[in-house]
Amino acid sequence: MSGMKRPGGELASRPLHFFWLADCSGSMYGEKIESLNYAIRSAIKPMQDVADDNPNAQVMIRAITFSTGAQWHIAEPVRVEDFKWQDVDADGVTSMGGALKLVAEQLDVSLMPERCLPPVLVMVTDGQPTDDFNAGLKSLMDKPWGKKAVRIAIGIGQDADLDVLQKFIGHNEIKPLHAHNAEDLVNYIRWASTVVLQAASSPASQVKDQVTSGVVPIPQAPEASNPDVDDVW
Amino acid sequence: MSSLLKRGQILHGSNTQTAYEIETFLGAGTQGEVYQAKTNGQLVALKCYFPQYIKTDPNCQQRLEKAISKGNPDSNFLWPIELVFTDKTPLFGYVMPLRADHYKSIVDLMKRRIDPGFRELITACLGLVESFLHLHAKGFCYRDINFNNIFLNPQTGDILICDNDNVDVNGVSGAINGTPRFMAPELVRGDAAPCTESDLFSVSVLLFYMLMLHHPLEGKKEADIRCFDQAAMNRLYGNEPVFIFDPRDNSNYPVKGLHDNALTYWPLYPQFIRDLFIRAFTTGINDVQHGRVRENEWRNALIRLRDSMVYCACGAENFYDSEQLKEGQQQVCWSCKQPLIYPPRLRIENTIVMLNHDTRLYLHHIDKTRRFEFSQAAAQVTRHPQDPNRWGLQNLSDQSWTITLTDNTVKTVEPQRTVNLNAGIRINFGSVQAEIRV
Ligand SMILES: Nc1ncnc2c1ncn2[C@@H]1O[C@H](COP(=O)(O)OP(=O)(O)OP(=O)(O)O)[C@@H](O)[C@H]1O
Ligand SMILES: [Zn+2]
Repeated sequence: MSGMKRPGGELASRPLHFFWLADCSGSMYGEKIESLNYAIRSAIKPMQDVADDNPNAQVMIRAITFSTGAQWHIAEPVRVEDFKWQDVDADGVTSMGGALKLVAEQLDVSLMPERCLPPVLVMVTDGQPTDDFNAGLKSLMDKPWGKKAVRIAIGIGQDADLDVLQKFIGHNEIKPLHAHNAEDLVNYIRWASTVVLQAASSPASQVKDQVTSGVVPIPQAPEASNPDVDDVW
Repeated sequence: MSSLLKRGQILHGSNTQTAYEIETFLGAGTQGEVYQAKTNGQLVALKCYFPQYIKTDPNCQQRLEKAISKGNPDSNFLWPIELVFTDKTPLFGYVMPLRADHYKSIVDLMKRRIDPGFRELITACLGLVESFLHLHAKGFCYRDINFNNIFLNPQTGDILICDNDNVDVNGVSGAINGTPRFMAPELVRGDAAPCTESDLFSVSVLLFYMLMLHHPLEGKKEADIRCFDQAAMNRLYGNEPVFIFDPRDNSNYPVKGLHDNALTYWPLYPQFIRDLFIRAFTTGINDVQHGRVRENEWRNALIRLRDSMVYCACGAENFYDSEQLKEGQQQVCWSCKQPLIYPPRLRIENTIVMLNHDTRLYLHHIDKTRRFEFSQAAAQVTRHPQDPNRWGLQNLSDQSWTITLTDNTVKTVEPQRTVNLNAGIRINFGSVQAEIRV
């Protein structure tokens, strides 16, 4: 080698904004919230690895928690390399609509970079909204970046309102993921933070008959365990 | 995180009954998980498929069996060696050679985590087109050329091609359509299924990425897209593909500040390389059947490109561009912007090899019957041991050369002897004639 570097920089890439929407209502108290914290912490490294292997995206992460009201858990976009998860607690009711409003505000054209990859929203909940979900969803879908977002939903346990989650997703071909136990939750969270992340930025090999969310093609989700056997919740 | 196999688990090869013991988890993809395994003290890689993937690809096993029985196109492929099955659970997979750690992915190249010189980079490009030539010549189609399946050794430019389990006989319908950004436009549009001709398009994209660190279709049209979603990608790569350097259509020209690599690298390569890319992404887009640049053309061009390398006094690698010189333009170094000073060159038939301080010739250059053989040097540029200002070309082959000086004196250059790099000396290598130009 001549010892002199070739000119130019890295391959040009675009930002990808990733949002966690975590249900922290009272019904999540105990094992569920601990499992959620554990699942997200366990997904960090795989998520970073996927981002690291991805030359097309700069992944930025934020998080919202919702219980009685919705608030930013991570308000400023954090680069995935620096992403850390502070555990969340459970208490209060389920202001899911409020969470959607909050994320919608940040997806406003004036606050988003001009050129981006589709944002990814991952909602995790065990119940049903106690506030005006439809108003929240409308505010999200009124934003061009909200409409373009890849929306993934994970319902925990028997009380999760899958119909509401289906509405949030907005594409019938993609179903909410139903976690029956802690292991499912870990798998789904990992899937959302790796496979979906990858699909939204540089889709992997296209398998025939892949589900398309309308925004990007989403590979198959992992299969849930048999709900009758080890439903620990 | 692995989920299918456990450390210490034994899988048996279906042909040889060899026992493969699982050691470590190497990684997962969309189709399955790959492990390091051991057999008789030898390390191999073992891929195990996700059961839910196999449901979407029922021909997988048959396809692998075909690939295994036909054998690898060349040793650059980490080709399936044999199928393996687990004892009780209905899992299956295959064994292949293990990739050594010093091979890095094209993603590392794109992110500049490895930074080979031009020579090694071109050698890697050449290795790729030769391997795909061998694959296609065997009647196979690869179907899924992309960043993650190609690895290179940045020190040498040696390459490896992984993920050979989608390879099938050309024309057979398969489960994989390709990877976005690499898929030929007719595949993106859904007009055609993967085949050799679509592989050729992907090869051109890969070469463009490697040489220019940019995608050939991402120019102004990409800049105008706010949200880069499926619809946008379909438009850019499928329905309205326009080459960023299409000489007859500048609607997709690169945008300064966004597509700087393309603007930096494009003028740095000689015209014959640019012409080939122009053809690959104009005619090659419009004429799916007959318009694509084939591997043998890439091979000749890449060899010529490597032979065109010259060093500027500042140390930067530049490329001699005879077409630019014919037009009377002076070439300047891309790094220091000073006019390039050329070393002596060897005109071999109708090609030019620049004779730099470290240039080597191979059988490819001096023996018509041994084209594309680069394994052993047949000549090298050397400096006279007593007079550092005298440069020569040393005969490293086992055949004598006959040289004719400008006064028509004829001499013999025996193996290990050296001929001065003086203008006008003609060298007869046997089947090939050459002349030194200064
Ligand atoms: N022969 C090998 N030696 C070492 N590592 C390997 C080998 N083959 C694959 N790997 C690693 O295993 C992981 C998964 O492999 P691979 O990408 O082939 O899986 P896949 O399911 O085919 O994925 P894809 O979605 O790219 O098709 C990757 O990290 C890859 O680098
Ligand atoms: Zn220079």
